[in-house]
Amino acid sequence: METKGRTPAVSLAASVREVFGFFFFLGRRTGKTRVFVLLGGIPVVIAVLVRILAAGRADDLAAVFSEILMVFFVTFYIVILSLFYGTSIVAEELEGRTLPYLTSRPLSKAGIFLGKYAAYTSLMFLMVTASLALSYFIMNGHRLADAGLYLTFLKYAAVLGLGLLAYTAFFAFLGTFLKRAILLGLMFGFGWENVIQYFPGSTQKFSLVHYLKSLLPRQPAAGGKFSLLLFRLEPTGPVAAVVSLALIAVVFVALGCWVFRTKEYLFEE
Amino acid sequence: MATIREKGYYHWDGRLEARRFPWWPITRTGIQLAFKKKWFKFVFAAGFAPAVVTLVLIYISERLEDFKSMFGGKGQLITVNPKFFMDFLTNGGLVFIIVMVLVFAGAGLIADDLKHNSLQVYFARPLRKNDYLLGKMAVIFFFVLLLTLVPAIVLYIFKLIFAGSFRFVVDYPWLLLSVAGFSAVLTVFFAFYTLLLSALSKNSRYVMIIVFTVYLFSQILYGIINSIRGLHGPGTALVSIYENLLQVAAFLFGQKPPHAVHPGWSFLILAAVCVASAVVLNRKIRGVEVIR
Amino acid sequence: MSAVIEAKSLSKWYGNVLGLNDVSLEIESGITGLLGPNGAGKSTFMKLITGQMKPNIGSVAINGERVWNHFRLFARLGFCPEPDAFYEDISGWEFLTGLLRLQGFGRAEAAERAAMALTIVELTGDKDRKIRGYSRGMRQRVKFAQAIAHDPEVIILDEPFSGLDPLGKRRLIRLIKDYEGAGKTILVSSHVLPEIEAVTSRIVMIHQGKILAQGDIHMVRDLIESHPHMISVRSPQARALAAALVDDASVLKMTFGADGRSLVVETPNRDGVFGRLQSVIVAKGLEVEEITSPDDNLQAVFDYLVGK
Repeated sequence: METKGRTPAVSLAASVREVFGFFFFLGRRTGKTRVFVLLGGIPVVIAVLVRILAAGRADDLAAVFSEILMVFFVTFYIVILSLFYGTSIVAEELEGRTLPYLTSRPLSKAGIFLGKYAAYTSLMFLMVTASLALSYFIMNGHRLADAGLYLTFLKYAAVLGLGLLAYTAFFAFLGTFLKRAILLGLMFGFGWENVIQYFPGSTQKFSLVHYLKSLLPRQPAAGGKFSLLLFRLEPTGPVAAVVSLALIAVVFVALGCWVFRTKEYLFEE
Repeated sequence: MATIREKGYYHWDGRLEARRFPWWPITRTGIQLAFKKKWFKFVFAAGFAPAVVTLVLIYISERLEDFKSMFGGKGQLITVNPKFFMDFLTNGGLVFIIVMVLVFAGAGLIADDLKHNSLQVYFARPLRKNDYLLGKMAVIFFFVLLLTLVPAIVLYIFKLIFAGSFRFVVDYPWLLLSVAGFSAVLTVFFAFYTLLLSALSKNSRYVMIIVFTVYLFSQILYGIINSIRGLHGPGTALVSIYENLLQVAAFLFGQKPPHAVHPGWSFLILAAVCVASAVVLNRKIRGVEVIR
Repeated sequence: MSAVIEAKSLSKWYGNVLGLNDVSLEIESGITGLLGPNGAGKSTFMKLITGQMKPNIGSVAINGERVWNHFRLFARLGFCPEPDAFYEDISGWEFLTGLLRLQGFGRAEAAERAAMALTIVELTGDKDRKIRGYSRGMRQRVKFAQAIAHDPEVIILDEPFSGLDPLGKRRLIRLIKDYEGAGKTILVSSHVLPEIEAVTSRIVMIHQGKILAQGDIHMVRDLIESHPHMISVRSPQARALAAALVDDASVLKMTFGADGRSLVVETPNRDGVFGRLQSVIVAKGLEVEEITSPDDNLQAVFDYLVGK
């Protein structure tokens, strides 16, 4: 048999890098990603329509984006994406019975988990940023020379990126030990996260969306006509919000790595 | 002359004795599988909460004198009439729970069969495509009717019992038909909607997300469009599944539609989804898998 | 020769179901066949020695190193899992190069090794097709290719012949046998005796989570010889056939079916009686509908071994 006998050692960083490369590539190839990209096209279409129909009302355009289209991104798009891709990290390997292809390689299990997490988060971030950039710049096409516009865009992108990191970490963690994490995820993402904002005091801090809303660059005037997104928000300071989201992401990724490393997975017959 | 005789199997040339309800085993299995899911029972039970609340309201409406102090004179706001029943059947919470039930019990109905390539196992039996689809749809019929029609009829009966007369029947002779009609629309629409999405992928986890996403997204889209000056208008409600159901319900219960657009359009949109679903199902459901 | 794979008092259970029961086993280099009926514990054993599962009791080691969560060891291991499962949306080439990158090879070397593995399994012409469109035989071969592409010292093949047509099986058997002289340790599982027999003469027999027998395949054959074989013949002239066989010394017993059209012959010399049957049928011009050996299967051998 003419094969070369060399077996390179794979470090944790290298594991993450290689798993990232493989799944970033694989993620782009699936039809499901195309559907989610299409979903991201909806705000772009709306932006185009708004530009055509509301030409000349500059103030309205800015408000429409920050308080209406952002509803789509913050409370829907990133949650759906994170829920699907986050739970996919483990569930797709179990459902497709492909896990042995990964766990029989010289890769640490933490490396596999982290690599897939990084790959899918990056993929989602690309989808979200593309949709955000197109809709944002179409809506603000009349003031492209304004430097502040780009700074605000970066802030929006950063908020959504942080949201993706935190939500994906949480859903990925659920996926490591629950067979039907998606159901609990739906209840969390669209039940708990919405209901809790009606609770008084600090209760709303037990949701991820609270910190994301606190970080949005444009805060509406109380009782303003566009209060759809920031309804009843009692914002947390920006530093505390960023730290909270980062901490949530780190804690759940670490927990996910730990469960994935210690739990043995059996395929359903 | 030597011959090679077929040993492995024989063509069956007997007469096909069709069962009366060949789709029933499929339905029974679908229902049983749903109840085997750990969280399903809780979600399904939660679906009866609106009915319980409505029953309490019916009771209060018949005992207004006893509750006067509690309502501070606003008790007369609880009037049991067709609108009351319509509000129960179109309650946002109830429809949300129905969608969750579809996510649990409906997403995998066809997707799992496609994944395990088991359509040919079904069609190796005396079963037609329509029997298969009816069997799958009946699973959704079962759950949706159990959350809509059945509690509505029970509430109707309780209204008569609490009232102690048949005056209500005389006042609203068409109410039961409206209840049955809207429950049927809701059930048939959700059956086609769920099976359509379930037939589009082999991955039931993905279908779960899509069943939920399409419903919720249509509502969010409506919310967004309706909030934008220049885009909003009564016709925008037609993009939302829920708003279309409200329009249809208003028509069937003889109420004023919530949006100033003819309910016929909503009927048409819901019917279009059903037709699209039937076309897709007809193409996707076949005994032999076609690999492209 | 020292053992490459070593299992000590290995037990594994799934809830109340015992998958593997106190298995101690040493497997040396060369090809070893793991033989057992469905549900015997073959896949459980394979998953334990490839680190997919953790033993409840006992230990398993490869070259003296424990397996569970010892990922560096997997650089020297090639595993061909039993399920017909793949990343369906990518091509065979992308599948192999991707997994080789995960193995730690650079882009160029991964491509070189993937090309070599595809040549070995004769899939070069189909390398750019999506796996979703591969036939069952091609899928089995690409699965085998991913197990050998990184040139591992230990190759574990879980039911590699399942679903293959005879031609595909022969091709895969040849591929596996090519490794015999390469100093590799190969463990192949199957529930079909002739498949294992075609690959190796060294077998491990497993049943109900326990090792029944281990050693040369002829030992199993001898075991079969120690029990009379049953040969069942369906013929409208079953009694005429019996009359012609009755003077054969190797026939121990003959019984007739209730319909008078079937005859079961018991003999310790199956091949001899088969030969005799053929000549009697031809000489007397008897009409025969079917000849079968109801106990000529692995299950019957196991039944003998477990004393049923």
